[in-house]
Amino acid sequence: MNAIKGSLILFIIGLFCHTASPKTKQEVLQEKVHQLMEWSNRRTVIQMGGSKFANYVKSKPRNYSVIVMFTALNPKRGCSVCQEASDEFTILANSYRFSPAYSNSLFFGVVDFDDGQDIFRTLGLNSAPAFIHFPAKGKRKAVDTYDIQRYGFHADNIAKWMAERTEIVVRIFRPPNYMGTVVLVLLFSLAGGLLYVRRNSLDFFYNKTFWGVLSIFIVLGMTSGQMWNHIRGPPYYHRNPQNGAIHYIHGSSQGQLVAETHLVMLINAAIVVGFALLSEVHNPEMEVSKRKVFAIGGLVMVVFFFSLLISVFRRKYQSYPYSLLIR
Amino acid sequence: MTTVAHKGLGSLSSPGAQKSLIAVIVLTLCCIIAFSSRLFAVIRFESIIHEFDPWFNYRATHRLSTYGFYDFLNWFDERAWYPLGRIVGGTIYPGLMVTAGLLHWILNSLHITVHIRDVCVFLAPVFSGFTSIATFFLTREIWDSGAALFAACFISIVPGYISRSVAGSYDNEGVAIFALQLTYFFWIRALKKGSIFWSVCTALSYFYMVSAWGGYVFIINLIPLHVFVLLIMQRYSARVYVAYTTFFILGLLLSMQIPFVGFQPIRTSEHMASAGVFGLLQAYCFLDYIRSKTTKQQFRSLFVFLLFLVCFILFVGVVFLTYAGYIAPWSGRFYSLWDTGYAKIHIPIIASVSEHQPTTWSSFFFDLHVLSCAFPAGLWFCVQKINDERVFVILYAVFASYFAGVMVRLMLTLTPIVCVLAGIAFSNTLSKFIKDDANETIKKKKIKKDSNEYTAPGETDSEEESSQEPGKSLYDKAGKSHSKRKSFQSGTPGSSYKKNKQDVGPLGANVKGFVLMAFLLMLLLFVVHCTWVTSNAYSSPSVVLASYNNDGSRVILDDFREAYHWLRQNTHDRARVMSWWDYGYQIAGMANRTTLVDNNTWNNSHIALVGKAMASTEEKSIEIMRMLDVDYVLIIFGGMIGYSGDDINKFLWMVRIAEGEHPQDIKESKYFTPNGEFRVDKDGSPTLLNCLMYKMSYYRFGELQMDFRSPPGFDRTRNVEIGNKNIKFEHLEEAFTSEHWLVRIYKVLKPANRQPLGHALASKRYKAKHISRKTNKRKKGFVKNKLDVKKGRRTRPASNMSTKKSRSKKIK
Repeated sequence: MNAIKGSLILFIIGLFCHTASPKTKQEVLQEKVHQLMEWSNRRTVIQMGGSKFANYVKSKPRNYSVIVMFTALNPKRGCSVCQEASDEFTILANSYRFSPAYSNSLFFGVVDFDDGQDIFRTLGLNSAPAFIHFPAKGKRKAVDTYDIQRYGFHADNIAKWMAERTEIVVRIFRPPNYMGTVVLVLLFSLAGGLLYVRRNSLDFFYNKTFWGVLSIFIVLGMTSGQMWNHIRGPPYYHRNPQNGAIHYIHGSSQGQLVAETHLVMLINAAIVVGFALLSEVHNPEMEVSKRKVFAIGGLVMVVFFFSLLISVFRRKYQSYPYSLLIR
Repeated sequence: MTTVAHKGLGSLSSPGAQKSLIAVIVLTLCCIIAFSSRLFAVIRFESIIHEFDPWFNYRATHRLSTYGFYDFLNWFDERAWYPLGRIVGGTIYPGLMVTAGLLHWILNSLHITVHIRDVCVFLAPVFSGFTSIATFFLTREIWDSGAALFAACFISIVPGYISRSVAGSYDNEGVAIFALQLTYFFWIRALKKGSIFWSVCTALSYFYMVSAWGGYVFIINLIPLHVFVLLIMQRYSARVYVAYTTFFILGLLLSMQIPFVGFQPIRTSEHMASAGVFGLLQAYCFLDYIRSKTTKQQFRSLFVFLLFLVCFILFVGVVFLTYAGYIAPWSGRFYSLWDTGYAKIHIPIIASVSEHQPTTWSSFFFDLHVLSCAFPAGLWFCVQKINDERVFVILYAVFASYFAGVMVRLMLTLTPIVCVLAGIAFSNTLSKFIKDDANETIKKKKIKKDSNEYTAPGETDSEEESSQEPGKSLYDKAGKSHSKRKSFQSGTPGSSYKKNKQDVGPLGANVKGFVLMAFLLMLLLFVVHCTWVTSNAYSSPSVVLASYNNDGSRVILDDFREAYHWLRQNTHDRARVMSWWDYGYQIAGMANRTTLVDNNTWNNSHIALVGKAMASTEEKSIEIMRMLDVDYVLIIFGGMIGYSGDDINKFLWMVRIAEGEHPQDIKESKYFTPNGEFRVDKDGSPTLLNCLMYKMSYYRFGELQMDFRSPPGFDRTRNVEIGNKNIKFEHLEEAFTSEHWLVRIYKVLKPANRQPLGHALASKRYKAKHISRKTNKRKKGFVKNKLDVKKGRRTRPASNMSTKKSRSKKIK
């Protein structure tokens, strides 16, 4: 195998040195496509070093286009996005491999920084990952470089770009994620098991505190905007890139940070506890001294945390005119 | 309400009568406050219909009151969605219009001559007063009259509800929340009494709700859920059976009477839960009966057999019906409630509406203030003292808060239950701190209340409720009828009351005073917050804008009405106006002209076509505009005064929606700069700088220099100097620009009489003809010209008429 490869490379190099060659351009092309097909059958994303890249992507007789990901997967390079981008790229390549559009006119390749630093240099790449499309005909244009900054490296977006560049439309097929199902089954079996083990004493099922806490938890979660977090996926906190200061509260009322919602949830919970304490004051089974503590504690909790809530709110609504205790 | 009033006036000497008098006074004050706190917009501006949707509702009501009910139901609106038209009678919830029309009719028969517009403007505030009364009754059924008065006070001023019911915001939600609360009240009542009368009331009020708002789906899922949970909790009783079956059957039949709803209740999955619970209830009842007649062993085997049989039949039935297409799949908007990513990916038109976004915590706090933190406490109290009707409240709170979290718009359904539960929380907490000196303060508070309607009522209620508890349950007559409830009642409050009398003492007057003061302060803050929010955030008509100068004087920008009035006065009655869908209802309502698309976004491809026309170059869009017979194009431009809600800022949505339907012609990425920015200055993408929307917005704007500090053509909304100052039109001409350039109207020019022939061959032939027949030249030319003109005039209206006729026939 190695020998074949070596001879092939030698032979192509020979071709480009304008030495006499027994094979015509057509045959060379056939050879190249054949070789690429063979590789891509083994691995949909072809690993490319310097020479492979030069021979199969850069060099001319070519009737196929190649989409190459330039990346730095080596952990010591410390590129955390590269792995994610690589996964997405592989998903795209696999979707293409098993789609009806699969043909020998498009191949996927990857060049790692550690294998081909000179390629990075010649292409003028300063950052990884990058996706570049090498068209079958004509020169490479600006749009042949995928704009990661704008579109992100989601496979669907890369596929869209790919469809634009190569007119090959691929539906992204993600290997189904069984994690959710597994967790659900586990949870159900756990709950079922628990119920079975404790089938003689199902009191907790009739336990008001349990249900009360559960429903309050749901309500607090919703009123503190956890659903917003779930849909929009904001960061936990915000670090100012200039001075490194960490903000836990989003400055505008349009957005929120996860930390902030947790804080609000805790504050709301504290107020509810305060209310509960205040209503416990008149429980006839309680001692008098304890009641006083409960009353004062409850009051302080309600008032203090409510003031805190307003002051957090004021951070977001700069023009909000009212406050209580805390500014 | 009437019974309470009756009693109140009957014998003032007894404490019960005093209490009901107080309740009546407080409720009346609630209604007045609810009405008057919604009048900010009317006082600041004038009695005017707000925003967008209300304009359509107003137009429909106007039609109803002039042409009558049957004409309204059969109304085919040929002035919307040109050239498709819209069957209005069958695609709206008529409850709102009928209510306003009825009110107008009654007032006019009493010779109180009111314009229909004023009825429409003040309908929502009037109904919010009714809502607070309905909330009072609902809360009284669930807890007691003290909490009920609190809840009534809360709901009359809470911003979450005011946001949809200020004077002038004439929309379905205004009456629907009243119907919602009333339905729930009747349902709880029916459940407690087990009486057919009350469940018929529930069904009737549900019918009203169905006729008024699409949110009725919430009721028809929540009530079955309540019944289902009651079954699981083994709280089944004959009362539940009577109440639910009566309600379900009547409600189903009644809801199908609304043309827009039609057969949905038996076909769509949103309604299936209610039918399922109905079946389950029958089965449960049947099994209950059999159990009483058989031995345990027999029953068990029978039960297992029946269970399998029913499951099998249900499964096969549902699969078959779905397969055969009788059960429609879930509609998009409901999908977006469960699968929160659904709308974002699949339906840009749903995602583009800001009301369909998820809710941040700050908007919960903004709309509910102290109630948002107090109502979980009410929930806690309800769980601790659970009974049949409190199960309902708990379910309502949990589900409504979930929905409100998913969609900002559904904050409206959460608000009523928040008021109820916060009322319970405050009343339950405060009542215990007031009890001791109830008799002394009651008179003081009564005086105080008149000066401060918001907080004082709550205070008096709790006092009154506390002294009411030992035995004389005036409002809670229902408690006597069921043993379960009664035992619960006598369990806690009755016994604790006596002990409280002696135990409150050691707590000390100081602590009690502090607690009362703190709570009063919080409630006061709530009142102030509500007023502030109402005044600042929810009282802008958005048809008339106001801006403030540096010296605080107010400038009214009345550009919208100016432009619509211009259209009304200066264009042909049948002129067709193209604009983005946001302004469709306003053009139809104020200018009375035909529109292509409007806020009833039922036809996405039509909207996409308009979006494509706006996003293409003039040459391409003129084809679309000619195809759609557009006479005028209306756009909103805010660059002159810095109005941010203009069409350039909405432009990306036009592009996105157009791209969804015409991906080969419109590409969103082309409207961005290479760096991915959307900018209108020199660096902006050339596609953007030459598209029709840009050209129409900035036509002749480059000549305009507003002050000496900024260059000519400086866009104040986006704070840049525009990139394309040399704009020329070929097929359009500027027809009207309003005072502050907010609205710009362009006329689409008719094609020139003789279009230049595109290819050389034809012109050559013509020339040859021209030369050879020299003598007949004049004659020929004359005849030909004449023919052309006649054709152009006759064919077009005639063909339009014929298509319209055929369509209306089809519809019939």
